[in-house]
Amino acid sequence: MEMFLMAAVMSLLAVAVCAVLFAAATRDERGEASRPVVRAAREPQHFFASTPAAPPRAETAAKEGTEPELVPVEALLLRIEQHIRLEQAAAESFLHHPTGESLHSRTTSRLVN
Amino acid sequence: MTNVHADLLGGLADEEAERVLALGSRIALSAGQVLFNLGDAADSLFIVESGRVALTLPLKLRDGHQDVLIEERSPGQALGWSALVPPHRFTLKAAAAIDSEVLALPRAALFEHFAAHPEVGYAVTRNVSAVVGQRLQVLQTMWLREMQRVVEIRGVRARSIS
Repeated sequence: MEMFLMAAVMSLLAVAVCAVLFAAATRDERGEASRPVVRAAREPQHFFASTPAAPPRAETAAKEGTEPELVPVEALLLRIEQHIRLEQAAAESFLHHPTGESLHSRTTSRLVN
Repeated sequence: MTNVHADLLGGLADEEAERVLALGSRIALSAGQVLFNLGDAADSLFIVESGRVALTLPLKLRDGHQDVLIEERSPGQALGWSALVPPHRFTLKAAAAIDSEVLALPRAALFEHFAAHPEVGYAVTRNVSAVVGQRLQVLQTMWLREMQRVVEIRGVRARSIS
């Protein structure tokens, strides 16, 4: 009789342990299942998701603790003045033939590309 | 002003144009010399006789300001039309790009001459209007193109934030 009771108690104990483990395992899975939605929303969207985006140079420099690479002022001025000339030419071209396409034609200016 | 036809005097007979030019005085500028600064009182209109005059605007770059070339004026072209338009303050800086000569036409003398010869005043005003109107249209278009770029950049940023 004692042996029978011992076996019954051990069985109940084993069932209880299994139930606890099962509950713990399934709670983790449910939690995991609800998380991806949040993760997807937090991730930045990219047109080309498979391509790893290169971090901006300034950001990289900040992480590495170095100064971002600066274009000399003279070179920057030349770039700005070239941009102004290109934009003036584009504007004059639009005024000669005013269309939506010529108004918003793409520029080759390095300042904005 | 012998070989140069001033755009400001288009539509005037030669003798009428000569009378207008006689109101001015010649100024010689060495390369880099400033003719007027942004914000200066605009009391004279100028016609480039020789050389080239650069019109610039100050742009804040890093720790200082740099003059950015907006356009250049060549012989025959006028500059400084702020002299004819209130509040008579220059909105650009002008400096000789190379050794140059300009003819300065004082506003007071011009207006007096226009009052006495309204047909001359009408022709000159029409020519000035053409210069001002063309520049306004070009700048308006340039501004719109920049606005379009700002909208596109902000659109991309908004998409990446959401």
